[in-house]
Amino acid sequence: MSGAEEETKRVSRRHFLKGSLALPLALTVAGGLLTVPSLRRADARGFYLRPPGALAEKCFLGACIRCGKCVQACPYRAIRLAETDAGVAIGTPFIIAREEPCQLCTDLPCIKSCPSGALDKGVTEVEKVRMGTAVIIDRENCLSIRGLRCEVCYRNCPLIDRAITIEPRHNPRTGVHTIMEPVVHRDKCVGCGICEKSCVREQPVIVVQRTPLPQQDAYEF
Amino acid sequence: MALSRRDFLKASAAAAALAAATGGRLGATDVHAAEGGIRWGKAPCRFCGTGCGVLVGVKDGRIVATKGDPAAPVNKGLNCIKGYFLSKVLYGKDRLTKPLIRKGNKMVEASWDEAMDLIASKFRESIAKHGPDSVAMFGSGQWTVFEGYAAAKLFKAGIGTNNIEPNARFCMASAVTGFMTTFNSDEPMGCYDDLDLGDTYFLWGANMAECHPVLFSRLIDNRLKNPKVKIIDFGTRFTRTSQMADKYIRFNPQTDLALLNAIAHIIVRDRLYDENFIRKHVVFKKGKTNIGYGLEDKFKFADDPKPMTFDEYREFLKPYTPEYVSKLSGVPAKTIEEVARLYADKSRKVNSLWTMGFNQHVRGTWVNNLVYNVHLLTGKICKPGENPMSLTGQPSACGTAREVGTFTHRLPADMVVMNEEHRKKAAEIWGVPAEKIPAKPTYHATEMFRALDRGDIKVLWVQVTNPFQSAPNLSRYRKGARKGGDRFIIVSDIYPTRSTELADVVLPSASWVEKEGFFGNAERRGQQWFKMVEPPGEARNDLWQTMELARRLGHGNLFPYKYVEKEMFEEYRKFTLGQGKDLAPYEAYTKARGLRWPVVNGKETLWRYTEGYDPYVKAGEGVKFYKNKPNDYKAVIWARPYEPAAEAPDRQYPFWLCTGRVLEQWHTGTMTGRVPELKRAYGGAVCEIHPEDAKRLKVKHGDKVRVTSRRGSIVLTADLRGRGKAEKGNVFVAFFDENKMINELCIDAYCPISGEPDYKKCAVKLEKA
Repeated sequence: MSGAEEETKRVSRRHFLKGSLALPLALTVAGGLLTVPSLRRADARGFYLRPPGALAEKCFLGACIRCGKCVQACPYRAIRLAETDAGVAIGTPFIIAREEPCQLCTDLPCIKSCPSGALDKGVTEVEKVRMGTAVIIDRENCLSIRGLRCEVCYRNCPLIDRAITIEPRHNPRTGVHTIMEPVVHRDKCVGCGICEKSCVREQPVIVVQRTPLPQQDAYEF
Repeated sequence: MALSRRDFLKASAAAAALAAATGGRLGATDVHAAEGGIRWGKAPCRFCGTGCGVLVGVKDGRIVATKGDPAAPVNKGLNCIKGYFLSKVLYGKDRLTKPLIRKGNKMVEASWDEAMDLIASKFRESIAKHGPDSVAMFGSGQWTVFEGYAAAKLFKAGIGTNNIEPNARFCMASAVTGFMTTFNSDEPMGCYDDLDLGDTYFLWGANMAECHPVLFSRLIDNRLKNPKVKIIDFGTRFTRTSQMADKYIRFNPQTDLALLNAIAHIIVRDRLYDENFIRKHVVFKKGKTNIGYGLEDKFKFADDPKPMTFDEYREFLKPYTPEYVSKLSGVPAKTIEEVARLYADKSRKVNSLWTMGFNQHVRGTWVNNLVYNVHLLTGKICKPGENPMSLTGQPSACGTAREVGTFTHRLPADMVVMNEEHRKKAAEIWGVPAEKIPAKPTYHATEMFRALDRGDIKVLWVQVTNPFQSAPNLSRYRKGARKGGDRFIIVSDIYPTRSTELADVVLPSASWVEKEGFFGNAERRGQQWFKMVEPPGEARNDLWQTMELARRLGHGNLFPYKYVEKEMFEEYRKFTLGQGKDLAPYEAYTKARGLRWPVVNGKETLWRYTEGYDPYVKAGEGVKFYKNKPNDYKAVIWARPYEPAAEAPDRQYPFWLCTGRVLEQWHTGTMTGRVPELKRAYGGAVCEIHPEDAKRLKVKHGDKVRVTSRRGSIVLTADLRGRGKAEKGNVFVAFFDENKMINELCIDAYCPISGEPDYKKCAVKLEKA
């Protein structure tokens, strides 16, 4: 349970940083390529997991009237309100996936309850939700990638075989077994965070991050 | 104690040396770990029947780590997620550490002396008043060989009753009767090497991806290496296994009987069989039909096998045309034809693998027979890479329950109490008069709980299992247990369970490496381990508990050992020698990462009945079913018809209910449920429903749904997105959840030959709750 406390603490810090820094989106996208430690750190902490249907972060912060209706509508109490340490984001709804992820209710009651349009009423199917994208951030600590039969994230994925699939490959270490690697598909993952919660490692090796923006080029494969 | 500790030290040194010799990387880890003060010892995993080897790291008297044993041939250093958390299963906060005695509605702490005195007095009283058949032991496929052997010896040779059964009756009994009726010897001819060597795998009622995770990983690797490999999954539910299979063939529940006969029909019709093999190695038989379902108390059945000719068998198969069976099973006739051809393809090495879908079946014995029929017709048996293989679900269902014979009718090494010669041999080894062992079997598991409910059994001791969550038609047997009167229930366990809550005495047990042990896995591999840590508080080994009762009942002479485990094993070993079930000397197992019996002259056997592998088969014999003396050393092809399930959906209860397991939790969840990570990964049972059925019922994913059978009712969360996809008209619920005991809904109909209940089929209705 100390893990959960730590998580909360970390998130509070995150609110603080978020409030004071307000990073531009482009920087977040580029973050993976940058090597300057301070920027990476700020970047990693800039992302809030918002309820389903939330507009792009800037628009969301502008549109959300901090009424708390989505919090009341969530049957799993997954949605919570940012507290006083969140700066401009105070009173905005967010989700800590590791504690209680979005369960992706079929009828999306949080979106229905939103009076301001901060949660987009055009999102009526769970498949259309884009809260973020799950990423295996720590391959070395992923038990499945190490050849153990874990794949808990995969089996718990509400879009199993679509958002996460298993890519089997030969395990050269034993010579007779398969590494069953969970692979997240960005075009299908809704970012609910159920995988992040279910990961059996002390620190989840799969977490929901901001969905990277598509980058155009001329290649068609 | 001193001896076993010393041996443990020796063994861990050997383990480190072995690891160092076999793999540089892990060897280095070991050395590093040893520097950290961690001592590593070998043991088989505590969970399923795969028998993965693990290294257990001990520091300051506590298990601090486990890892897959790279030297273990079964898993070569890997584990599933349950095995990964082995170090935590013994350290739940609520471990039982003191004996408890019921005082009214309260359980009060007591000393071992008080508890054992009370138990002994209840046994004595009941035996004096109602005879030895009024006391019983319900044990487990998780018993170590020693625990099972001691219990069987005390009950059969000491107390003089056959009232001993393992929970394996609930999971493996049909596999046993399948083996016995077809080959006259229990357990498979093949081994896990077949997973590497074959190219065609039929899975029947087995969710290997979740229930035998490490073996499945091995099977898939075979396919990665060899593009010829095909995996065909026959099932009534789309599972993670189906997802990875080349083909998933959905069939209506119970129609596996018809499908296998249709496959045989095509093989015989088109003369795809191996005539030479049949002539040399096969006889044909038929048994009784319309054999009932065991729903009435004291149901009795005895088969009446009659020989038949190949032509008569051909006639028997006539009605099972692909067209007829297609209508019955829902499988297209064309698919049945294709499957039959794959089975018979001379260029293919064909294996069948099955688990509970076959065994927990009101015709479980028959369906086991029928899959052997196909392998016997095609001669695809007893060859490397070509075998039928029954997978097991408990770590020593084979080693203890089946090989030691802790069933009411069994004695060690394939012997039975009904046979005078067998009783004589057992009595001689046990040092008791032959008359001491009763010649009549009493109750198999379900009947045992019925007898407790009726009051025919007064005193019941439950060890290493949780029947008051795992029995079918649970409500009846839970109520029966607390009916009072002379009933007295003792439960030995490591945690409070749904069974300890019904007990009059709860005994705190030692588990796994808190004691010296021996398990036997599904491929006949016996694996030994030493005690590595002390059990917590006053918890004690079940073996000690049984011997302590024996001593107090005046049967202490049955256990005259100094180094109990070793001497007991050497005594048990005498049953196996010369029987084709030969075990190695105890010493050999302390060093090896398991050995597959028969072990003759220090050499294990990979393929039974096979020349060049099995020392009992002479040069030039090729294949010999040498255990089947009554059938002239031939295997039996059985004419077993399709017969319907005990209870099928109707207007009132329109859905099939199937129960089973998930990867993260094991059995009734008493161990895995204590691991927070596993609980987080899969916390509670849900009800898998087909989306179309759900729509009709106006149930959405995540809604509460009431599932009701004629026996019980339960509210569950509807799951429409899960890892398992229910077929239309079917629902599936896992049975591990102690707060949602689905077995209250299950019917206690069983296979009349094996006595194993059908947990896979009963009728339920669904309502939005």
